Amino acid sequence: MAIQSNVLLISLVLMAVVAGFFISAVRASRKPDTGAPREVVRTRFIYALLVVGVIVTAVSLRPWPHAISAANGPSATVNVTGAMWYWEIDRETVPLGVPVIFNARTTDVTHGFGVMDSQDRLLFQTQAIPGYVNQVEHVFRQPGVYRVVCMEYCGVAHHAMTNEFTVAAAN
Amino acid sequence: MMDTNSAQRLPGPQAGAVKFTMLLAGVVLLLMMIFGFVMRAAQGNLIDLDPAMFYQLLTAHGAGMVGTAGLTGAAILWYFMGRYVPLARGVFWAFLGLFLLGVVLILGAIFIGGYGGAWTFLFPLPANSGGVWGTDAAAAFLLGYVAIGVAFLLLYLEVGRKLIAAYGGIGGALAWPLVMGKGTAEDAPPPAVVAAMATTIFNTIGTVVGAAVLASSLVNLYFPEFKVDALLAKNMIYFFGHVFINASIYMAVIAVYEIIPEYTGTPWKTSRIFAVAWSLVLLFVMAVYPHHLLQDTVMPAWSLAMGQIVSYLSGIPLLAVTAFSLIVYLRKANAMRWDLASALLVLGMAGWSVGSVPAIIDGMISVNKVMHNTQWVPGHFHIYLILGEVAMAFGFMMWLIGKPEHKAAGGFNWAAFSAYVLGGAGFTLMFLVSGALSVPRRWAVHAPEWVLQSQIATGFALLVILGAAMFVLRYLLGLKHSAGR
Repeated sequence: MAIQSNVLLISLVLMAVVAGFFISAVRASRKPDTGAPREVVRTRFIYALLVVGVIVTAVSLRPWPHAISAANGPSATVNVTGAMWYWEIDRETVPLGVPVIFNARTTDVTHGFGVMDSQDRLLFQTQAIPGYVNQVEHVFRQPGVYRVVCMEYCGVAHHAMTNEFTVAAAN
Repeated sequence: MMDTNSAQRLPGPQAGAVKFTMLLAGVVLLLMMIFGFVMRAAQGNLIDLDPAMFYQLLTAHGAGMVGTAGLTGAAILWYFMGRYVPLARGVFWAFLGLFLLGVVLILGAIFIGGYGGAWTFLFPLPANSGGVWGTDAAAAFLLGYVAIGVAFLLLYLEVGRKLIAAYGGIGGALAWPLVMGKGTAEDAPPPAVVAAMATTIFNTIGTVVGAAVLASSLVNLYFPEFKVDALLAKNMIYFFGHVFINASIYMAVIAVYEIIPEYTGTPWKTSRIFAVAWSLVLLFVMAVYPHHLLQDTVMPAWSLAMGQIVSYLSGIPLLAVTAFSLIVYLRKANAMRWDLASALLVLGMAGWSVGSVPAIIDGMISVNKVMHNTQWVPGHFHIYLILGEVAMAFGFMMWLIGKPEHKAAGGFNWAAFSAYVLGGAGFTLMFLVSGALSVPRRWAVHAPEWVLQSQIATGFALLVILGAAMFVLRYLLGLKHSAGR
């Protein structure tokens, strides 16, 4: 299952839990004191949130999500440049199964370099901001045609700013 | 602390000016909701809309909604601070006048000048439209923001100096003696004062940073050789934008602190945990903004990690202090009186809390990599605006006009509330689902496989507009009725 489906599922469950506490409090509000949670519950809740926070932080930031690991092994580098309203990509074919580093640049305003798979599922993105080179690394697991889209609003043809490249096994 | 004599000399809240402001806000909210409806209908191929007009509406909707949220929050803050400190009444009229001047400049820039650079005016887009709008249109838009910024600074200057004078300094108004374990809860300022002092500080800082980047962008428009670092500008814009929209919610929650006790019968008191929470909010609101730049990998890694961690931490004062306390008060109530005002205020707290979940999850770098600038983002902030801040603002409006007198009002109110909640929930759910399906935000034209969600969302948007229109109508009738009394 793609990360997006998990994120949606987890979010909806947690949102329902939060909403549930409010709905149950609203129902209890017309009845005589129905046993409001005491301060000790609040304290435990805060500690629980802190513990969960430490775990989630540790798990989600290690390894560093923006790490560029390719320096240690075989890799490929692709330079992409955004301009109103097109993407220039310096190679048509990108190797399968090895880390690919994308250097994102822009010649005018800020653009968002986003890559979608054949099912139009966003795989990763980085911003292309004037004066800087943002780097993002990805390992492609499926050969095929990938679509490049713009993920930062950049003017009247923002939605039409697309391009594509092919991922194929390296010879 | 204020003595009883000075409290008795208070002129009281500036009710007339605030009622007028909320009427303006209600009408603008409706208009901006209609803009939103039109955009979703265009994405759903239900109407034909030129992309240039779509992006103009997008710009107007963003600037208009953020501005109106700020306006309603400021009106709530001003109204209730009138209960505690003597505020100079002319300041509010100056605030409103400057705000409206800003609105005129912004609307002129967009609908006469063709400006469509989004409410975030991300440098250097205002100066670089690709031939769609001119320099003067961009300048008018930025000057409109400057006028609104000056309006807010004036308002905060007056509120801030009066709170500092009445409560023995910033620390006194923030209940720091209680935080340090030196004072007692009985001597602490009321929750509304603590909230007002904190928002006054952070939104003043946010607005000044915003003014600096606006001024730089304005100079750059006419003197392009005056270079601005795009990453620095982006940091400043998101600092300002994040702080401003959050300040709107943190100001609106004052209405919950002040009004809900009238319904539950239990006063909302400043406890130690409440005071600690607000001091943390003051820090968190300003420290969290790098979560808007998680896909700028050139940013220092520590700042992005801070953005993720503070995003999560920000949820603790919200959920464990404000939301938790409201739930305690509701459960303790013996016979809570429910009317449109209390229902909307509680909805506002619930919506804000629920909306924080997808926001915090998107604040994780690894999630953000596939969710940033998809419709997930408008998904979460529309939850805590439609069902949060705006619900609080409507609740405050209903409270201002008093209680519905006759039975028919009950059915009308219930219909309006149901339409608003159902519409809001469905509308925002469609954004979240679309975000999970990788539909980018701010696209005038959608791929055929994304059209269905947009069409469903258009229907829900209509329900939201219906509910909101009924609120505004009820408010208008209530104003007329109270004027006749």
